[in-house]
Amino acid sequence: MLQTLRLHRHKLLLIFGLAFLSLAASIWIGDAKTWAEIDWLDVLGEGGSAVAIAVWMVLILGSRPAGRVTDLLTLGLGFMFIAMWQDNLDEFIRLPAEQWWDHWLESGAMPFGIALLTYGLFHWHGEQLSINRQLQKRESLFREHRYIDGLTQLGRADYLKQQLQRQLAASVGKPLTLVMLETDHFAGVARAIGHREADRLLREIAEILLLNMRPQDVICRYAGERFALVMPDTDAEQALQLVQELRLAVQHFAFKTGQPAQTLYQRILAGLCTARPGEEAAELIARANDALLQAHDGRGCYQAA
Amino acid sequence: MTMAWYECDEKYLPAHYQPALLLDLLLARDISSHKVLRGTGLFYEDILAGQQKLSQLQLKQLIANGDKLVAEGDLSFRWGDNLWPGHYGAGSQLLSNAPDLGCALQALVRYRRFLSPLLAPRVFEDEHYCYVQWLDTCGLQEQHRFMVETAMMALTSMSRWLAQQNLPWRYGFSYPRPAADEQYQVHFGSQLQFGLGVDVMVIEKSWLQAAWPRGSVTGFQAAWQEAGVLRDDYASDGFTEAVYQWLIAHISDAVTLPDVAAVFGMSPATFKRKLKKHQSHFQQLQDQARMHVSLYLLHVRDFNNEQVAHYLHFNDTTNFRRAFKRWTGLTPSDVRQQFRFAGS
Repeated sequence: MLQTLRLHRHKLLLIFGLAFLSLAASIWIGDAKTWAEIDWLDVLGEGGSAVAIAVWMVLILGSRPAGRVTDLLTLGLGFMFIAMWQDNLDEFIRLPAEQWWDHWLESGAMPFGIALLTYGLFHWHGEQLSINRQLQKRESLFREHRYIDGLTQLGRADYLKQQLQRQLAASVGKPLTLVMLETDHFAGVARAIGHREADRLLREIAEILLLNMRPQDVICRYAGERFALVMPDTDAEQALQLVQELRLAVQHFAFKTGQPAQTLYQRILAGLCTARPGEEAAELIARANDALLQAHDGRGCYQAA
Repeated sequence: MTMAWYECDEKYLPAHYQPALLLDLLLARDISSHKVLRGTGLFYEDILAGQQKLSQLQLKQLIANGDKLVAEGDLSFRWGDNLWPGHYGAGSQLLSNAPDLGCALQALVRYRRFLSPLLAPRVFEDEHYCYVQWLDTCGLQEQHRFMVETAMMALTSMSRWLAQQNLPWRYGFSYPRPAADEQYQVHFGSQLQFGLGVDVMVIEKSWLQAAWPRGSVTGFQAAWQEAGVLRDDYASDGFTEAVYQWLIAHISDAVTLPDVAAVFGMSPATFKRKLKKHQSHFQQLQDQARMHVSLYLLHVRDFNNEQVAHYLHFNDTTNFRRAFKRWTGLTPSDVRQQFRFAGS
C-alpha cells in the first residue's frame, strides 16, 4: 500500500497542505474558545466525519493506480475533508466576523467536493464495467476476493464450489459441463526446474487456458497443478471439442526456463463430466475428479458417462 | 539398556536445511521475512550465514507462522513436495542413492532426527504390507495436521521421483476429513481414510524391493558404511517418541508411570515435568500406544475383541470396548465396519 501511495504524493500534499494552512491561519487570526463554549457533540460528529473521509481517501489512493478516476475520487473526498476540517476548527477557534475565507472553505468546499466525487464515481462505474469484461473468464456471476489464489489470480476451490452451485441453480434444464485439467507429469518437471520456475510455469499455463477459452466459461485453480473449468450451457460433445482445443494450445506453448536455458513442452490431461439433473456441486466435482483419474490411465482425455 | 533422547528446546537442526526451504517458499509469495520469523528468535541474516541452529520448538513456531500467512492451505504440500532427498547431510546422501523403497525407508528411519525432525517415521511390516506410521516427537498440537501433510507429501513425492512412477500408496489420517480436502485429492489421490486414529501410509510389500532407476546399490552401501564408521553420537528419538516406543515394546506388560520414569533414569516428578514440557502426559501416551496397537490388531491381524483385550491385558472385553470408545470415539465393531484398510 505504501508504494501505491507514493504515486499520489502530490495530491496528498495538496489536500493536507491546505488543511494545515487553514489550521495555521485560524490560530494566527482567531482566538481560542473557552472550554465551556465548546460543543463536544459537534466536535465528535464533525471531527469524526473528517477523520473518516481522510481514511476513505487514503484507502482509495492506496488501492488504485494513478489515473483520471483516481484523481477525481481523491480530490472530491479531499475537498469534503477540508470542509469538515474547517467546520471542526470553528468549534475550537473563534474567527473575526470580517474573515470571509473560513466560510468559503466550510460551505464552498463541500458542494465542490461532492460534485467532483459524483463525477468521479460516474466514471468509476464505466471503468468497473470494462474491468468486469476483462475478469469475466475468472469470475462470472459473483466476486469474492478472499477466495483468490495468490499464484494464478484465479478463484480457488472454495470459489469453484460456490460458483458451480450458482451456475447449477441458474441453468436448470440446460446442460452444464465441468472439466478438470491437469498438467501431465508436473511433479517431475517441478523437481527438475525448481519450485520458483514451476510456479511461473503454472501461472503461464493458466494464462494460456484463459486466452483460449470462451468468454462465458469460468476457470479456477482447484489445487496444485489441477484447474477446473466450468462450461455453462454446454453438452459433453461441445465441451470435448473445446477441451481438445485447449490441449492443443498448451501442447504448443514453448516454456523457457532460465538456468539452464531450455524449452519445455507440456501436455494436459482432462476429465469431463456433464451435470445430472439436480446434482450438487460437490458430487459433480467428485465425478469430474474421477474422470481425470481415468484420463491419467489413458494419458489423455476422459469423459465420464 | 540406557535410554537416549533429545528434547524440544535443544538447538540442533541447521537452519539452512528444511527451515530455509520453508522460508524460501514463503518469500516466493512476497511475504516479508520478519513476519515469517516473528516469535522464533531467528534472524534472516543468521539463516543466510548458514551458522544458525534450530530447536523443534523454533521450527514449530516457524510452521505456525507460515500456516497463518498462507491462505491457500497448500504450504505444507509445497514444502513436502520439495523436502526430500534434500541436502541435509548423510541422510540425504542415502536417500538420493537409495536403490529401492525399502532402503529409502531404512535411511529415513535412521536419520529421522535430521530428515523429519517433528514427525518421526515408524516402519513395520506384516505378511502383505509395509506400514509407515508418523509419530509426533515434540507435541505438535495445532501444527499436527500441517506436519502430517508435509511428511506424507514428502514421502509420496520422493518415492515418485526416485521410482519414476506413482507408487500405489494408501493413506490413513488420525483426524476427520478436512472441509477443504482438494489438496489431499490432487496430491494423494483417492485412497484416503480419515478419522482412523493413526497417521499411516500403506503399500504392498512387493514395492519395497522394486529397483529404482535413479538409485545405486553401491552408492547407498558405501554411504551407509561411511555413516556407520562416523558413529552417530546423537540420540535419534525425540523425548515423547522414545517414551512411546518403549511403551509399544512393552505393550503386553502392566506398566505404570514410576516404572517408565525409572527406565528413563529420573524420578516420577521429573518425568512428569519433562512430558509436560513436550505438551504430553503419561496417560495420553499410554492410551495412544494402546490405541495404535489395537487398531493394528483389529484392522490388520483380524483379531476379535477378546483377543485384543487379552493381548493388551484388559480384565475383560467390556473394559476394552469402553477404553477403545474413549480413545477413538467409536466402538471396535464400528471401526471394523467403517474401515477395511489392509486386506481390502
